[in-house]
Amino acid sequence: MRIYEIMFIVDPNAPEEAIDAVIGQVEGVIREAGGTVDKVDKWGKRKLAYRVRRREEGYYVLVRYSVADTAAVKEIERRLKVHELVLKYLTVRLDEKLRWLEKRRKAREKRAARKPAAAAAARMPGEPVPAVPGEPVEESE
Amino acid sequence: MAETKGGRPISASQRPTGGDKAVVTRKQYFRRKKVCRFCVEKIDDIDYKDVRLLSAFISERGRIIPRRISGVCTPCQRRLTTAIKQARNIALLPFTTAP
Repeated sequence: MRIYEIMFIVDPNAPEEAIDAVIGQVEGVIREAGGTVDKVDKWGKRKLAYRVRRREEGYYVLVRYSVADTAAVKEIERRLKVHELVLKYLTVRLDEKLRWLEKRRKAREKRAARKPAAAAAARMPGEPVPAVPGEPVEESE
Repeated sequence: MAETKGGRPISASQRPTGGDKAVVTRKQYFRRKKVCRFCVEKIDDIDYKDVRLLSAFISERGRIIPRRISGVCTPCQRRLTTAIKQARNIALLPFTTAP
């Protein structure tokens, strides 16, 4: 099972039902392939960083899902590509990133537990050395 | 020591690169040792959706700021670059901005 996240931009002038229809279509493909829709997040209208098909704004939608069949990802992208209301889309695979983040978090906890006093020094080797005397040390932290 | 107790402790003026160590160069001026902001603030997840964070690392023209300027460490810069490029793809960040 892989976790993905797809973000797509719908025409901001489209009626709310049309946007929901697009989301429904995406969900349908996922369910059909035996996957699960984990999260649907409608960001709403947002200014685009650059013009896309002569539009300055877009309606952002974020769908997080997990599916085992990779063909489903292709199918979703294909459908969004041909949909005239969808301006742009981006699929990001998340499971590897999440695993990596988890690993990092655990390593951090372990380090903090092992030597709480020296944790600060061990965190970044070669960075924090005592400040130069005479230099006005602003306490930043 | 750069002991951070959660949150965002560093003031805005020195946030991007300010460490707490000053390096004395040959000339008579101090240069602040640049420190990777992601390491200091323990930001593991550099996400393309976090426009606020990412826009701190692009220039006015929309270019990615090199790490020799921003002080971001190599592994973090790599993840940052990926995130910025993803954000550009979905029109959250610009590829270029007109002067």
